[in-house]
Amino acid sequence: MLLSMSRNPEEPVYNRIEEARTALGLSRQDLADLAGVHYQTIGYLEREEYSPSLVLALRIAKSLNQEVSELFSLTPCKKGK
Amino acid sequence: MSEKNKYYWFEGGTKKGVNALLNDENSKFRWLRPQRNRRILVVLMALGLLLTSMGSYWPTLKTNLNLSSSAGLIIYSATAIFVVLVLVGCYSLLRIAVRSIADAPDELLDERQIAVRNTSFRYAYFILGYIIMGLLLLMLLGPDLKLFEPEGEDGSYIVIATLFACAALPSMVMAWRERDI
Repeated sequence: MLLSMSRNPEEPVYNRIEEARTALGLSRQDLADLAGVHYQTIGYLEREEYSPSLVLALRIAKSLNQEVSELFSLTPCKKGK
Repeated sequence: MSEKNKYYWFEGGTKKGVNALLNDENSKFRWLRPQRNRRILVVLMALGLLLTSMGSYWPTLKTNLNLSSSAGLIIYSATAIFVVLVLVGCYSLLRIAVRSIADAPDELLDERQIAVRNTSFRYAYFILGYIIMGLLLLMLLGPDLKLFEPEGEDGSYIVIATLFACAALPSMVMAWRERDI
């Protein structure tokens, strides 16, 4: 369910944060500390209930050693891709 | 005070205090987190505000309270202090329930929390506008109601309730609306 916090509920941003995070063996708190946000915000992002700003997307991608384009998408992400 | 525990005068809290609330360091208040419990707190706060705003009318209720006697005055004052203390208690619990996000300085919040806070303030501003509009309409349309002077009171209870509402509304809105906080 998309909440009002999504920047544009009509065009949600999908992501593979959880997949990339667990692949690195990081907890939500670990990733939150790396990206400089609250651990709940990582939960919101993983549930796709909040769309990050470009700065936060870049910080998360850097923390997970990925490119932003690999991590975020305007179309639903396929598992394991 | 050291830089590590900076005091935010405008927001009224220390860096350590706000961070402790944001990170749920005090587990004895976790029962406040579920939305249902937060909403109960909001209803209690709203009832407290309503009761306080009607404080001038308490002596006119059928309580046989005689304000000209010292006993009556003591009971009336004690009740007023009790209601205000309940309001202060509810407000403190509300701040804890929403991790003090509504009152925290920007530098201690992340972008999602700032977005949540801004949305809450927007709704709180509308609600406060309606409350003030309602009060003004009552003053304008019903001077015979003697809104502020049922027993020679000066309307101080309405002022107290409005001040509390100003402070608590953003947290109340946040506590009511947010599923997870």
